[in-house]
Amino acid sequence: MQHSVSKDRFERMRKTGSIHYSMEIKKNLAEIVDKFPDNPKSMQYFYDRYEHFLSGDDSSFKGKKVVASMCIHVPLELIYAVGAVPVRICAGAYAMDQIGTEFLPAKTCPLVKSTLGAIYLDILPGNIDPVLIVNPATCDQKKKMGEMGEELSKPLYLLEVPPTKDTEEARRYWHRVIKRFVKKLESVTGNKITRRSLKRAIKMVAKAQAEYRRFNQLRKTAPVIYGKDAILVTNAYFFDDIERWTQKVSELNDELEKRIEQKIYVGKPHSPRILLTGSPSIFPNMKLPVLIEELGGLVVYEEFCSTSRMIWDTVAVDEWFLYDMIPAVADRYLKPSTCPNFTPNNDRKRKIAKGIEDFSVDGVIYQTFSGCQLYDMESRMVGNFVESMGISTLFIESDYNPDDFGQLTTRLEAFLDSLKNKK
Amino acid sequence: MNNIRKWINNANVSRFRFWVQILTFILFVYGSYFLIHIGQNLPTFACPYNPGSPGTCFLISVQHQMHTPFSSLFSWRGLGFLTSLGSFVLFFVLFNKAWCGFMCPLGTIQDWITKLRNRLGIRFSNYDERSFKRLSWIKYVLLVLLFLIPLAIANSFFGLPKVSHNMMSPFCQICPARIILPLFSGDTSQMFINFTNTTTIVMSSLAILVLALFFVGSFVKKRFFCFFCPMSALQYLFSRIGILRLTKVGDKCTRCGNCSRVCDMGILSIAEDITSVNVVTDNCMMCFKCVEACPEEGCLDVKVFNFKIFSSTEEGFFKRYNPDGDSKELPPLNSKK
Repeated sequence: MQHSVSKDRFERMRKTGSIHYSMEIKKNLAEIVDKFPDNPKSMQYFYDRYEHFLSGDDSSFKGKKVVASMCIHVPLELIYAVGAVPVRICAGAYAMDQIGTEFLPAKTCPLVKSTLGAIYLDILPGNIDPVLIVNPATCDQKKKMGEMGEELSKPLYLLEVPPTKDTEEARRYWHRVIKRFVKKLESVTGNKITRRSLKRAIKMVAKAQAEYRRFNQLRKTAPVIYGKDAILVTNAYFFDDIERWTQKVSELNDELEKRIEQKIYVGKPHSPRILLTGSPSIFPNMKLPVLIEELGGLVVYEEFCSTSRMIWDTVAVDEWFLYDMIPAVADRYLKPSTCPNFTPNNDRKRKIAKGIEDFSVDGVIYQTFSGCQLYDMESRMVGNFVESMGISTLFIESDYNPDDFGQLTTRLEAFLDSLKNKK
Repeated sequence: MNNIRKWINNANVSRFRFWVQILTFILFVYGSYFLIHIGQNLPTFACPYNPGSPGTCFLISVQHQMHTPFSSLFSWRGLGFLTSLGSFVLFFVLFNKAWCGFMCPLGTIQDWITKLRNRLGIRFSNYDERSFKRLSWIKYVLLVLLFLIPLAIANSFFGLPKVSHNMMSPFCQICPARIILPLFSGDTSQMFINFTNTTTIVMSSLAILVLALFFVGSFVKKRFFCFFCPMSALQYLFSRIGILRLTKVGDKCTRCGNCSRVCDMGILSIAEDITSVNVVTDNCMMCFKCVEACPEEGCLDVKVFNFKIFSSTEEGFFKRYNPDGDSKELPPLNSKK
């Protein structure tokens, strides 16, 4: 904590920061819950999680070793296998964003600033005290942010990620990185990865994935849940106990199935169906999906690293021994990823195309956080590609600051109207 | 109909294949004891050196029939070769390369060796991409040689002297099936080094070397020998007209690489190739493990003509790779079992 900030100032920052943070959570959650009628009953669990958990009023992690991660490229299975619990701490809070501004250049991406702010103030989800904070070297800003973390004397660990995923060299490199990561995990937690523990972990995550895929199937079948709720559900995967999460999603799925039978749908029959992609919406920064749906759109699919990209892909092991399981897990976190830090990234285009087709999408909204260079640079490629499919796109640059609400509303309204006219 | 389809798509094809392999192994190794005879042109290693064999591998027919002077080969006698080629193709198109994955006794033995290694918990190895590409050529070289050498015994190429008769059936001389399969009928007479002359000494020593390589190789690498098998090369030439097909819908592929991970032959293109519809390559043995490991709905399909008989599905994937396989509930965290 020996930054240029005095102890006194730090305490003050922490106090005001946490007050602003909990205010933000309450306010944004109210927007998500109260402005929409007839939310599914099973969603209540997730709303509660956010309320209690993010504000630290939770005891899920008492007595457990927590490994914090900042990205989807951190293999969760390995963390479970050493008896620790992974929590993804990528933050979406404007209050933390403002703290991070103290350390990072003004044009840094708000997600990075916000995450660093949260690490600095120790205001992490569930009041966890991680034994390791894993920082994958995806974008430059995250990489450099890791160095700041060291300065703050936090247990940061740089997980190297190759800049491409197609070559054999990249894959071998990644396998080695993961092997080293396993050693690190073992030394930090004091537990060895065993055949049994890893097998159990893989199956546990697979169960969650199966349930998530069912959730997606239901969303494909009928407009039965708002995108803002869907994002909340996947967002809870960041920090929730995975078995409980699976259980709760299963309950939600059952309820949605019933709703489909009773034809209780959300939105209006002619609501434009929207695919969201780009920089990830992470609670409490939900302004884009909430605004879209308030204005009569319906978010049917999200190609975000906080949603589908995180949970969708599965692990396939040929021989259930560590020599094959660890590379299998490693492959799953490299090969199917559509993170824009990989070049070339045609898989992202293909994934969006599949999303458009599967979910009969009317328009694509591409969100870029100001300062997020990678998503910004890919926007042109993706935009042109989507337009070539005959689907309109709207490019939105935004950050965690709620000030652009008015301007966003105008633009979204116009876009949604144009989509409605087309329908 | 839908229920049947669902049942099949959820099935564990590898287990099915295991049992089919045992049955076909009995058929192709002991068939003649059951008075079965399937003919001279089988597209798999049914080895006539084995007294129990119910038929003959087509490679032997090729080597015998190529042992003909050009003048007769291009006369009516050539028809003989064409008819046997025809019957080979007829056998082959029925099952395409599944002959390798489901029926070849030599392949089955390699799978058993793999199972043994798996039991012992010893890791396997794989070729890197460059070696994979380089080694893939060997089977074509062997294939060409097994045509050319018999021809060169009966004919003189470019005025060169004819090759010695000791090189008769050159591939059989080094083929591990010639030695291994008779052993299953209790016939050890093929395990010898022939000291008649230099050529036979070289060839029969080579055979023993290949045999040793076969066992060591297939213990280290899954389906080691198939990579070099000239039968596989010959089959691939006709693979496009096979009735049984393995196809891919590239748009549905996320390139997660599950299929190539579990592939015994280590074929990467099955995951990387998102444009081809037919994904059977020369090294493919159509074991359909890739289809089992694919979690995307209808991305990989096994078809008879255009009728889907086995498709990749989410449900099937999670059935095979997930807790339900063992038990519904996960074992408690600190179980010692």
